[in-house]
Amino acid sequence: MTTNDAIATAKKEGRTALNELESKQLLKAADIKTTDIKLARTKDEAVSLSKELGFPIVLKIISPDILHKTDVGGVKLNLNSEDEAGKAFDEIIDAAKKHDPKANIEGVSVQPMARPATEVIIGMSKDPQFGPVLMFGLGGILVEVLKDVSFRIVPLTRRDARDMIKEIKGYPILEGYRGQEPANIEMLEDLLLKVSDFVENRPEIKELDINPIFAYKDDAIAIDARVILEA
Amino acid sequence: MDSISKGLDRAFNPRSVAVIGDKLALGYMWLKSLSHFQGRLYSVQIDENELPGIEALGVENYLSLRDIPDDIDYAIVAVPNTVTPRIVRDCIDANVGAATLFTSGFAESGSDGGRKLQDTIASIARDGNLNLIGPNCMGIHNPRIGLCHSLDQPHGTSGNVGFISQSGTHATFFTAVGPLNGVRISKSVSYGNAVALDCTDFLEYLGDDEETDIIGMYIEGVNDGRRLFSVLRDVARRKPVLVWKGGVTEEGSRATASHTASMAGAPVIWDTLIRQCGAIKANSLDEMIDTMKVLLYAEPTTGNRVGLAAMTGGQSVVITDAFTREGFDVPLLTERSYDKFAAFFDTLGASYRNPLDISLNFPHLDRIIRSLDILSEDDNIDIVVLEISIAFMKNLSWIDTDLFDEIIDALSGFKERSDKPFIAIVVAAHAEHEAIDVRSKLAARNIPSFSSFNSGAKALKKALSYHRTAACH
Repeated sequence: MTTNDAIATAKKEGRTALNELESKQLLKAADIKTTDIKLARTKDEAVSLSKELGFPIVLKIISPDILHKTDVGGVKLNLNSEDEAGKAFDEIIDAAKKHDPKANIEGVSVQPMARPATEVIIGMSKDPQFGPVLMFGLGGILVEVLKDVSFRIVPLTRRDARDMIKEIKGYPILEGYRGQEPANIEMLEDLLLKVSDFVENRPEIKELDINPIFAYKDDAIAIDARVILEA
Repeated sequence: MDSISKGLDRAFNPRSVAVIGDKLALGYMWLKSLSHFQGRLYSVQIDENELPGIEALGVENYLSLRDIPDDIDYAIVAVPNTVTPRIVRDCIDANVGAATLFTSGFAESGSDGGRKLQDTIASIARDGNLNLIGPNCMGIHNPRIGLCHSLDQPHGTSGNVGFISQSGTHATFFTAVGPLNGVRISKSVSYGNAVALDCTDFLEYLGDDEETDIIGMYIEGVNDGRRLFSVLRDVARRKPVLVWKGGVTEEGSRATASHTASMAGAPVIWDTLIRQCGAIKANSLDEMIDTMKVLLYAEPTTGNRVGLAAMTGGQSVVITDAFTREGFDVPLLTERSYDKFAAFFDTLGASYRNPLDISLNFPHLDRIIRSLDILSEDDNIDIVVLEISIAFMKNLSWIDTDLFDEIIDALSGFKERSDKPFIAIVVAAHAEHEAIDVRSKLAARNIPSFSSFNSGAKALKKALSYHRTAACH
């Protein structure tokens, strides 16, 4: 599937929201590193894909009708065996159906469990006056509670990327506060510049959340992503 | 120079100006404001009742713009709004450099008729390639040649500060208040509803204007944000640009599906624009003028260590609070400085640790100046700040005598000697009347002064951030 297919498929189906798989395909094509991700439609597929990708793995619901996957029991982390993977698949499907019997369930995504790290978010939204604007902040629940984020108007320069990372109050955490693994700031800058290029070249994208990104000392990987297209 | 800049160059430096539709009901404000204009001034008015009044002002009147036997560089249109389409066409036919449409009653009125009329004017101007300023605005001010839109604006003098204002009031106030503070105007413009020319066009023009070293902007909205982004980024690299954004409340709550969109409201984006472009944010007219004073009259620095001299103990505490709150360091001085102080400074109830508490040394002008010299020569200090207490000086009868002029002379001498930025905080307390005089005397000697510790610290901080950003380019 090419990136155009992901957008074209969604458009053909009258959807503006891309699922995690489609979103990550777009990111990969823009040279943005994501976890490997495959779609399992059946329990058997979930088990064989788990084996193929290697344990521990993560299963997540893929449904256009379920936006907050964790809240409805649609995410299972740290699965270490074929048995666990199979059981998790059933549980996720059951939970999703219980949450919304009419939900269109495409399947369950299977991806390797990434080693925990400092979580950051990179997002894009469009301002009616200034066009695409990137946001950067600490990820996970911190972005929602603390709103410790910075913004820059696209296109970003290297200096803009550096400034917006340093601008957040939580910057010392990225530097490796109290012996924590520091984030690789230069790689985060690269990532911001890639996202800046990506959204500039893809005007059909209306909103983007890459959340979380795991920021390691030698890597930065998009763990979850969500693309919304222009209507 | 592109055609807009060429036209604006004529209009900002006109040899001839025509006012269309000035009348008694307006108090002939346009023609009166232009009484010191150094070029040729014409009136266009067809109402016979108005002709004696215009004649009394000594201005030649014509019945139509086309009848004037002269090339008109700048036209001011004050006719009733229903007549504006015809007059705008006349301006196109007369090939004016630019035309200001003072007339209101367009989109800002909120009526359908007003919006329609505005669209009509906009399309006539666009089709005729007219540099239309407004409507609903005061237009251009160039004090050097007496091109004024208010009797309160100075004429015959000029400075190096440009001002671009969506509001006529802020343009008038800035150009009248600025000069009292030593912030003198090169060129200013009030541009109102911006149906043709927008703030970005004026920014581009003043960015290239050699008479303009600093630019202030008051903006409520912009038509093409992307273009402002790129022009502001470009101009702010060459000269300081201060942006005062009016109307900063959230534009309603937008229904959004992502975290990013819900957090990226309009005020945040304007702040981002200003920061990303390397411009300086101002939240009021006072903040803008204060920051310009620092940029104009204090030596540039990227260091944030202040040496503070206050008149009394209580003031030495709160001046330190004010500067610390804005992120300045108030360090201890070098041993060498302390040795110098020990030789002359009366420490009875006073202190020279930093902050300095001048106290009983106050009546001795030489000691104050010596203290400033020591701060300025100290390797731990980047910036020198002095509190001038008007109430105390008044009690000592310093204000009403020649003694105060001696102080100003001495401070001016210190400023000349020192290679570090120096600012004064003129604390009026209950002597506000006297303080006004002191501030204008300081401004006349190019010593930047502020009316409170907070406003001085804030202005200094903004200038410091600017110089730090500029140093990275």
